[in-house]
Amino acid sequence: MLQGLGQRGRREIDARRAAPGTLTLFLAPALLLYAGFTLYPVLRTFYNSVHTIKPHGVEEFVGLANFSELLHTDFVFWKAVGNTALFTIVATVADVFGGLLLALVLFSRAPLAPLLRILWFTPVLMSYVVVGIIWVWIYDYDWGLANQILRAIGLGAFEQSWLGDPHIALWSVMATHVWKWLGFNMIIFLAALYALPGEVLGAAELDNCGWLAKLNFIIIPMLRPTIVNLLVLSFIGKMMVFDLIWIMTGGGPLWSTETVSTYVYKRAFDWNTFDLGYPSAIAVVWFIIILIFIVLMTRLLRQRDRLEF
Amino acid sequence: MWRRTPLILFLLLYTVVSGGPFVWVAIMSVRTTPEIFANPYALPTRFHWEKFAQAWSHSNYSTYFWNSIIVVTTAVALITVFGAMAAHCLARYRFRANRPIRFLILSGMILPPQLLILSLFQILLDYHLYNTLTGLILVYVASHLAMTVYILEGFFAQIPQDLFDAARMDGYGDFEIFWRITLPVGAPALFTTVTLNFIILWNEFLYAVVLLTEDDKRTLPLGIMHFMGSHQLDVGMVATGLMIAIAPVIVLYALFSDTMIRGMTAGAVR
Amino acid sequence: MAVVAIEALSKRYPGSNETAVRDFNLAVADGEFMVLLGPSGCGKSSVLRMIAGLEPITAGTIAIDGKVMNQVPAKQRDIAMVFQSYALYPHMDVFNNLAFGLRRRRVPAAEIDRRVRQAADKLGLALFLRRKPHALSGGQRQRVALGRAIVREPKVFLFDEPLSNLDAALRVSTRNELIRQQHEIGITTIYVTHDQVEAMTMGHRICIMDQGEVVQIGAPLEVYRNPVNTFVARFLGNPPMNLVPIELGRGSGRLGSVSIPLRSWSETALGPARSVLLGIRPEDLYETPPRPGDDLVPIAMRVSAVEPLGAETLLVLTLDDDATDIIARVGRDTRLRVGERATIMLDTTTVHLFDPVTTRVIARDLA
Repeated sequence: MLQGLGQRGRREIDARRAAPGTLTLFLAPALLLYAGFTLYPVLRTFYNSVHTIKPHGVEEFVGLANFSELLHTDFVFWKAVGNTALFTIVATVADVFGGLLLALVLFSRAPLAPLLRILWFTPVLMSYVVVGIIWVWIYDYDWGLANQILRAIGLGAFEQSWLGDPHIALWSVMATHVWKWLGFNMIIFLAALYALPGEVLGAAELDNCGWLAKLNFIIIPMLRPTIVNLLVLSFIGKMMVFDLIWIMTGGGPLWSTETVSTYVYKRAFDWNTFDLGYPSAIAVVWFIIILIFIVLMTRLLRQRDRLEF
Repeated sequence: MWRRTPLILFLLLYTVVSGGPFVWVAIMSVRTTPEIFANPYALPTRFHWEKFAQAWSHSNYSTYFWNSIIVVTTAVALITVFGAMAAHCLARYRFRANRPIRFLILSGMILPPQLLILSLFQILLDYHLYNTLTGLILVYVASHLAMTVYILEGFFAQIPQDLFDAARMDGYGDFEIFWRITLPVGAPALFTTVTLNFIILWNEFLYAVVLLTEDDKRTLPLGIMHFMGSHQLDVGMVATGLMIAIAPVIVLYALFSDTMIRGMTAGAVR
Repeated sequence: MAVVAIEALSKRYPGSNETAVRDFNLAVADGEFMVLLGPSGCGKSSVLRMIAGLEPITAGTIAIDGKVMNQVPAKQRDIAMVFQSYALYPHMDVFNNLAFGLRRRRVPAAEIDRRVRQAADKLGLALFLRRKPHALSGGQRQRVALGRAIVREPKVFLFDEPLSNLDAALRVSTRNELIRQQHEIGITTIYVTHDQVEAMTMGHRICIMDQGEVVQIGAPLEVYRNPVNTFVARFLGNPPMNLVPIELGRGSGRLGSVSIPLRSWSETALGPARSVLLGIRPEDLYETPPRPGDDLVPIAMRVSAVEPLGAETLLVLTLDDDATDIIARVGRDTRLRVGERATIMLDTTTVHLFDPVTTRVIARDLA
């Protein structure tokens, strides 16, 4: 009977629907900005990657030449990929499991835990500029804290040029990055720990489980979804790392801290020849690699966690 | 009691490790550079508060600071308004484009900035927005909408439908419902996103370094880097500058630490 | 004051093959308190929401005072609704919660003030006008929800299971409060619930629904005494009516080894069936005969459980050659114990017969 009625009347009646005009008004500002300054640039980057972009808008279609040069002859790119991979894997594992450790320490009724939680979270909020500069000072060979402490406790022989030695520069930057992010993972794990059902832990006590056993057999397995989520989140974040490296070492010395993102920046803005096409190709390749990783990781790690309480 | 000694040592150690560097910078910010080089780790003999005034007026810090204020507050305001509108629409109404639009916006969270900066550079140049605060604001808003919509949509969706039904029966239209129901009831989530966005954008570096080049347009992170570049040895002044940059974040954090932490964990432990 | 006429109403939710409401017909008289009763998922809330204008109608019409409301948006239907979760605006105080709907309708401020204060006084909320919902108890919130509907002075009140979030004691007192208010104000009311006690005590008439359809409409006692099928028979009454299969003989039925005279049913009424369902309410089974007469049939059973409730006692009994449990309500001073044999009197004047296949009642057709 109502079929001939047209959509308008129907929508006025349903509390869960609105007129197209209303929907548009709600969504338009966000969508327009997003489309213009995020989606369109992505498409344009893909477009750029198959061109050579010279100054003054001169563009030249080059097909897959950028990609071929990138993958076959660009040793800096591959060094950067290696650095980024190393950085990502080590730093991710370090700050996720480090965060877990900190959370467990606070969870075990450490004194002043609420205060410490707030204090230990502070590095997360600081700008990379602040963190980077401070740690550059700490790593300074002559008067930096790192070497001073080593000298003070008689291990002066181990003093290093933390950021100047190509063999350890990346590790130094990694340490700083982990230092900044430990607190973030810590508070997420703390929230997850407090959300664990108390009855399960109580049952374990009754089953005569010591702290270590409880940890191994109950807490860690139940935290698996959170661990996985944070690993993925951290992984993605670190694959894109730019700020800290740029501020602390600029990619040196000798490409030892060069990452894919710093390389993209350099090829675009710091190179003898101006060409936006090539770095766009790098960005595209890296994006595809990130996507593959995300799909792989989520599939691999998420498959097996369906926890029922 | 003594069994806890290793634990207490660890707590102390990590507190020093995580907080030490900031304390050190704070101390250095009130000492002069010669004093620092004489003994980097001593406590200040005199508190040189005048350095803050110096940094503010002589090193263009006031410009950098105000640029940051303008850019960040405008961007956060726009993100909050546009994001809330979009989140409300996606959470409340059923329409065919709902799922695709939601997917589109949320997938923005995994886009690496490198994929965007080069084209944004071109685009802003084309539209004469390069090296302008306006251009940076627009870029900031677009790139941070995704996370805000994600958090707000999750929260708004949990507001019971009954409230909206009752308002509808009381005669309220769609926008009034957004204005009088969603926003007030969703205020905690809005507050969380405002503080989170403020801190993230206050610290933002990559987009700013690509899209701003003139000194009087620089935001604070850029300003500090620039200053660091040209005054590398004037450690004392750089330290003062760092403290100026840290100050707003510390203030916000001291006031709202609980809310912020709760907001972040709510988003990630979904 | 309004008459609500619902004809051939039906509802199918998009994306579902099932019909939530099917061919629903109901006429509510002016000032009547009509209860929609049924188990979860029977469609009663869908009907209510369609009347309110919150859900689009798939087919059929809803008319208030003769005017068809299908296309009329909710705010123009002059209906007020009390939600199960109260739906109070958490960021407004009680006064503003009550005034919200009136402000929108451009009622003058003085009038709003008068109506709000009057309703608040009537509901005992006068001291709480400046409090926010989170500072109120469950019962107080419920009253605010009710007040919000009252100040609107609408044509129809709709209630969606308003008492289900209250604890037992509060439920009883609020129930009486609602009855009193409706009686005083006299507005046509449609009340949805799954609780048969609420339905029996509050409604002028009850409309029983099951699986999207109307099963029976009538006054509470009418529906209680003359259920139209086994669903209604067992839905009303606690403990529910006992249903046991009996073998039909000539003018009587056999229950185990007992013969029960069925003099009020003709052969034609009983039809060709060999067995039917006998329905007898627990209160119509007696330990000692309440009156002399041959319409009380003794049945020997064994007591399998005794549940003393204080004011009375429930006996769970089993027939010798049968597994069926029969529940009887007996006096509080019964001496029967578990395992004992008892002779229970069955009152044949209050017995019901149901067709086991169609579940419909077989009506008495002889005097």
